[in-house]
Amino acid sequence: MATGIQRSPKAPRNGRTRRDVMARGALAAALTPLLTAFRTPRPAADDGASFDRVHRGRRIRGTRDADGHWYVTLDGRPLHLMRRADGTWLSMVDHYCSYPAPLDAARAAVDALAPGEQLRGGGHGVRA
Amino acid sequence: MAYVRKDAATLTADEKRRFVNALLEVKRRGEYDEFVRTHLAYYASDGERGLRTAHMAPSFLPWHRRFLLDLEEALRRIDPSVTLPYWDWTRDRSARSAPWTADLLGGDGRRSDLRVTTGPFAYREGNWTIRTGVTEGEFLTRDLGRRADPIALPTKSDLEQALKEPEYDVAPWDSTVTRGFRNRLEGWGTGRGSASWRNHNRVHRWVGGAMLGAASVNDPAFWLHHAFVDLQWYRWQRRHRGARYLPATAPGPGDEQHGRIVSRREKLPPWDVTPQELEDVGAVYRYA
Ligand SMILES: [Cu+2]
Repeated sequence: MATGIQRSPKAPRNGRTRRDVMARGALAAALTPLLTAFRTPRPAADDGASFDRVHRGRRIRGTRDADGHWYVTLDGRPLHLMRRADGTWLSMVDHYCSYPAPLDAARAAVDALAPGEQLRGGGHGVRA
Repeated sequence: MAYVRKDAATLTADEKRRFVNALLEVKRRGEYDEFVRTHLAYYASDGERGLRTAHMAPSFLPWHRRFLLDLEEALRRIDPSVTLPYWDWTRDRSARSAPWTADLLGGDGRRSDLRVTTGPFAYREGNWTIRTGVTEGEFLTRDLGRRADPIALPTKSDLEQALKEPEYDVAPWDSTVTRGFRNRLEGWGTGRGSASWRNHNRVHRWVGGAMLGAASVNDPAFWLHHAFVDLQWYRWQRRHRGARYLPATAPGPGDEQHGRIVSRREKLPPWDVTPQELEDVGAVYRYA
């Protein structure tokens, strides 16, 4: 078997990797359309409405645009969400479980963070 | 000759010291953060379009196998005696057992900010500053067992639910399948809450902090956990003689999964290797 390290990953045949996305957008506002452009359209009925509330002392906001794409922030910093094929949501903070709606995923992210722990700024909360 | 990966609970003091020192050197050289970024970049979700390789896909196992080999090669360039240990979370189930000792991974995060303060990866040691993370903190975080709302590690019988599956994976080859060894082991369940995260996923949850997030590779526990997951693939093959990686061929143009997963003889990005070439690594390493 091949055991050599390939340190220059090639792009997949099809679709964009997150690395491509990271390379493209430093600003969340600019990034969101890129991320959502290749998201599988799913019924949005269960995703809930836009929200703006405080959970355990953190401000969580989520807005959904006319196309059903979400933009979620935690204390003003972008919290990138991903969608599972069953329509549930996971966040960068809590990446090995998923939740019924963006609000649930945002709350779970707050619950998983330490008191005072803030998301990194930039793209989707990851400084790479 | 094949080298041996050992149970972390059985390592000698010297083996632990050498493993830790090699990891710290990989980090010091700046190579470690590249592993963090690679894992981040290849975590694509199945509700979005595009190729999935590392998660929510049949290649979950070969992708991580190749990823572990890359780190192990980096460690062995520094110290050829080092191999990746594995953490058997069906046996070592508490926050005080292996591998959470001061001579290996260090212990739990402190309550106030989840910061790990013991062992070689504690921030104050100055050797493990997190630069590619989801959050601002530069220190490693953990919340072993999730103190605020405790959960248990997966059990032997949870693992058995995966190992008894006769097929490697089943269509549609994503996180929604309820049969097949791969997802039973990866651990995407149905329903809500605690019951829906199993095996591999549940262990990420149990460790918490950095291990729960997209930059989970920042916790060296990642490697010990995934070595044990990798061992399960070997065990499953032994139990189901002749069972192979699936799908054998790529889903056709009319298939919803067309171009989104890697079949047995297709290249597995970012490497120039196929799942088939990674099914048997007995010539490279074995598990003790
Ligand atoms: Cu993992």
